[in-house]
Amino acid sequence: MRLIKPRLLVGIVIVSIFSVLGLLVPLFAPEDPTAWNTYFRNLPPSAEHIMGTNNLGQDIFWLLTWSIRNSLWIGLGVSAAATVIGVLVGIFSGFVGGITDRVLTLLMDVVIAVPSLPILILISALLGGKSSLLIIAGVLVVFNWPWPGRQARAMALSLREREFINVAGASGENTLKIIVWEILPFMLGWALANFINTILVAISAESGLAIIGLASLKDATLGTMIYWAMQHQALLLEKWLWILSPILSIMLLFIGLFLISTGWSDYFATRRGRQ
Amino acid sequence: MKKFLTVALLLVLISVLSACAGAAAPATEGSDAAPAGDEMTFVGTPRRETLILDNLGGTLERPDFFNPYAPGVDMGRGFHEVCLDNLWEINTTTGEQFPSLAAEMPKALNEEYTSFEVKLREGIYWDDGVEFTADDVVYTLQLGLTNDKLPIHGWSIDYLKDVRAVDKYTVVIDTNRSQPRFSKDLGATIWDATRFWPVPKHIWENQDPTTFVAFPPTCIAQYKYSKHDPNGNWTLWELREDWERTAVGMVAGKPGPKYLLWNFVGTEEKRILAMINNDVDILQDITPESMEVLNNRSDTVRAWHAGFPYADFDDPCERGIAFNNSQFPYDQWQVRWALALATDIKNVSLGTFAGMLRVSPLAVPPVAAVQNAYHKPLVERLLAMELPDGYKPFDPTFATAMAEIFNEQGVGGDLPTTEAELIDLFGVGWWKYDVDQAAKLLEEVGFTRNAEGKWLLPDGTPWSIAINAPVDFEVQSGRLAFAVADSWSKFGVDASVNTMTGGSFWNASSTGEYQAGSYWPGCAIGPDIYPNVSFWHQKFIVETGQPAPGNQHRHKSDELARILDELEKVTSDDPRNVELSKDLLMQMALEMHWIPMFGTSKFVPVNETYFTNYPTADNYYEGPWWWWSNFKYIVAQIEPKQ
Amino acid sequence: MAVVRFLAVRLMVYVLVVWIGVTIIFFVPRFVPGNPVEVMMGKLLSQGTTMDPVLVESMRKTLTELFGLEGTLWEQYSSFLSRVILTQDFGPSLSYYPTPVSMLVARALPWSLGLLLTALLTSWLLGNLIGLLAGYYNKKNLSKLIETGAMIVYPIPYYILALLLVILFAYIWPIFPFVFQVSGTPGSWPWLQSVAYNSFLPLVSIVAVSLGWWIISMKAMVIDTKEEDFVQYARSRGVSDHKIMLGYVARTAILPQITVLALSIGGVFGGALITEILFGYPGVGSLIYKAILGSDYNLMLGTISISIVAVATATLVLDLIYPFIDPRIRYK
Repeated sequence: MRLIKPRLLVGIVIVSIFSVLGLLVPLFAPEDPTAWNTYFRNLPPSAEHIMGTNNLGQDIFWLLTWSIRNSLWIGLGVSAAATVIGVLVGIFSGFVGGITDRVLTLLMDVVIAVPSLPILILISALLGGKSSLLIIAGVLVVFNWPWPGRQARAMALSLREREFINVAGASGENTLKIIVWEILPFMLGWALANFINTILVAISAESGLAIIGLASLKDATLGTMIYWAMQHQALLLEKWLWILSPILSIMLLFIGLFLISTGWSDYFATRRGRQ
Repeated sequence: MKKFLTVALLLVLISVLSACAGAAAPATEGSDAAPAGDEMTFVGTPRRETLILDNLGGTLERPDFFNPYAPGVDMGRGFHEVCLDNLWEINTTTGEQFPSLAAEMPKALNEEYTSFEVKLREGIYWDDGVEFTADDVVYTLQLGLTNDKLPIHGWSIDYLKDVRAVDKYTVVIDTNRSQPRFSKDLGATIWDATRFWPVPKHIWENQDPTTFVAFPPTCIAQYKYSKHDPNGNWTLWELREDWERTAVGMVAGKPGPKYLLWNFVGTEEKRILAMINNDVDILQDITPESMEVLNNRSDTVRAWHAGFPYADFDDPCERGIAFNNSQFPYDQWQVRWALALATDIKNVSLGTFAGMLRVSPLAVPPVAAVQNAYHKPLVERLLAMELPDGYKPFDPTFATAMAEIFNEQGVGGDLPTTEAELIDLFGVGWWKYDVDQAAKLLEEVGFTRNAEGKWLLPDGTPWSIAINAPVDFEVQSGRLAFAVADSWSKFGVDASVNTMTGGSFWNASSTGEYQAGSYWPGCAIGPDIYPNVSFWHQKFIVETGQPAPGNQHRHKSDELARILDELEKVTSDDPRNVELSKDLLMQMALEMHWIPMFGTSKFVPVNETYFTNYPTADNYYEGPWWWWSNFKYIVAQIEPKQ
Repeated sequence: MAVVRFLAVRLMVYVLVVWIGVTIIFFVPRFVPGNPVEVMMGKLLSQGTTMDPVLVESMRKTLTELFGLEGTLWEQYSSFLSRVILTQDFGPSLSYYPTPVSMLVARALPWSLGLLLTALLTSWLLGNLIGLLAGYYNKKNLSKLIETGAMIVYPIPYYILALLLVILFAYIWPIFPFVFQVSGTPGSWPWLQSVAYNSFLPLVSIVAVSLGWWIISMKAMVIDTKEEDFVQYARSRGVSDHKIMLGYVARTAILPQITVLALSIGGVFGGALITEILFGYPGVGSLIYKAILGSDYNLMLGTISISIVAVATATLVLDLIYPFIDPRIRYK
């Protein structure tokens, strides 16, 4: 226990910092950070602008906090929805079997078989660039739930044949109870890893779209922030604060989430070991 | 045994990889050094004799396709620049045409301008040694007349009545209607001709012109095809030994470098890094920030102007915001004028291209030849121009105000000091930034403001504008949309930007299914602007939802139609041409049929490590239009560095 | 008998997946407000060339006819389906008319397959091996170091990582090329060398971003699995550590990884859009991107359908071989 706690703690601290930066701090922004030419362009860091301003006359700090907010929203929202839907549908499908299983598998197979990036680009074009964050998030959920779904189904198939489930089945417990009490706990460690991966998939899918200019560019996200910085050659002009802050944010955010994930699954493993 | 195999395999892999790296490394190393004399390019030609150009078209999916009449052909990477040629080419410093394959400008054989005699230069040869004659011209024009699967067919049967060779070097062409601008229809104007490129009859005969691959191309200009990358990144052209038997050889008297290599390097970062490495001599379209990187990192790279503002402002199309003028509320001139007056043009200029832009209040671009013919002479009339309520909207101070801003920022050191020179650079002026007058105009037509200062439509719903903008192409227009949206938002209009791919962007313009867009319907290259503005005639308006043949912005005006009808009958050199055009432009401005804003800025950087005598602001023998058909005349002037 | 029924049903599902997927790709682009004719007209207009309305109108008409875009959607759909089923012909590309789609795909596909299969297998093998060791010996310092490394590299946005690689190894320390420039006669030894040399950076970039996920997920699975009863039991029976790791833990933990690998292999046919754009790599991904930008319906169908068929085939094969890997599953 003593070994596990510090990791969990560090993870929670990092994620909390980002939650504060992303969810609370933006409320105090003096002006709309996405508006252009609010301040002089390319100011160095100062008391007034702690990270300076960029080539578009935006305050980098406030822009960053708004970007973190929107990216967190996309990442967490998409991942939570996709993982929950995927795991439940997958387990249900694998455990119940029969015609239900076939139909659900067909659905998952179709969605997996259709490549998502082209469809995302097409949908952006369909909406004529009007794609709001909500729509992008919706599409990402549609394309991401089948992955945990198929894995969960595979695990359910494998688990169904194992002793502890058979024992439970023999002792007359109903399916739902078996799923909730016997299968779900077994999958939690893996589901959490998947959850964290999907957060990253969602954030990188959004920034991938942003990079080719098809995300909702007027909204600040870590992806669009990178897009505008790249458009203005921030990398080659060595405007590090502008280009590196969103990159480092994505990295740190993930490390934080990952520490929570592993810390938690270690903790979980020990707990189960004692049962 | 197993272990041994694994280790052996690993060793082989490592040695292969390092061998590859080692073998190829010397090619890239040392490219920072000054020309040593015997360096080779990656295609195996001497670097000193190879002019390397950035390829605007990117990677080609079909690099071995050279049929200029097929819809899917790529005319760039050297094909129309140095292989094909036109009867009449364009000189972009004056905006006038001159004979290239033709021996002289066309001669009208009757008063009605329906019959023309075209004399060809004698002694011009295709690169396979066959002479270019009247038969080739007649054959090519017949292609369009007889093949209904060619995109050019509809135009051909509408325009041409009869085509015949009178002798080996003379063609007579009859047209269905009066065509006072015959040479503009068949020769090059902006970028290239669009309807006619002579093809060799002896090669094309017995081929199906709709699917003919025409590989390798048979060239008529001074270069011939050498080789290309099967993956579509580069194409190499070699100077013809008999270059004196081409139009360029006869007109310019000299050919240009021995090899021309069009090479696509990739994303913008890579393109500028390649130029810093001296692996590219001519770059096409880049942003001001990329220009800044080039200035910081290279001593041999220069832009059009050696100092600030670097860019060439003479691109023949201007940028601005156009509306669908048939849709509420943009069908009201008050609304369009209000939006123009609510545009903080100086900040838009700074936000779009860091202020390196020339303004234009008129519907034709502020390129030098056009600006001298129209913008400057019309300043008096612009100053006197009144909106119906007597308000005078014109503000002539833009150029001096921009110079002040740059001097404050400390970057104006290279700027000229006299007002006349500043106007040459930044333009004659634009509309006032006057939000009060804008508000007055809006209130006149029933718009109101709510408590937060946001504008409401007459029916009380919030007013929002979506501006279409191209994404991943035409960067300047894309950025302009964001800068304008920013300006209008500050005025209290909920303005946003739709970033669109080429397909939806052009579809919206054609069908009219949009509100506003960062389009560029104002192009012209010289004083004869009629061919570029004729599409504004209201007879081309179709219902929103239908693809429009012309007047995509659906602007209805009897007055403009009247002037256009008169202009159609006037020849290019008639003095009435310019006078009528002036009336037309003033009327367009008064109606605010769209909001023209800036000419297009092109940085067109060149690398002077291996070659010199590129056209530049100080050596203005031609515009820097590396991707136009008249490049064959520019390249003849480019010389190896001694 | 049960096996035959299972096979029949599974094959039917396979056909359904492909058919529904292709149908989606047929209809979605046609509802997008962009069409190949306007793209082509726009390309000319954006040059600022003089286009008089008569020319515009006649070109529009000819192109619509040439591109087979006349008639209702149903007519177009049924003629498309019958053509593809009967002759496997996707028709001419519209942006590169009259070049056949099959020709463009045939050129691009080997490039995508070569790069992505190599990258995928390399990172899968390497990642799972590292993940297994790090998970099994998760108390060791090296394990933690590896985990930290994976955590740091994995979340860097792909585009940025690739760009950093290019700047480092093609500009600052130029040991790899800027641009994808293959030289030599295709098939020859210098050509192969040139391909390997040119593909190295794209390969490394893909391996680098995908490696982290294999390590992390494998490690999580291993840690879970090694606490399971059957592993504990084996341990108590005195089975050697190596045998437990490979025979018991790895065998169970690798199952979901195989699932994902199979699915990813299918995805390989779709190419890696961003990699190809960034490195100028001539594969299917950039073909798809260009097809979308040019509203090239036929090319979109040709390229994306391959991807759909490939993924569907991968899942099919996976379902068929699963019982051989995990003996606990039986066909039902």
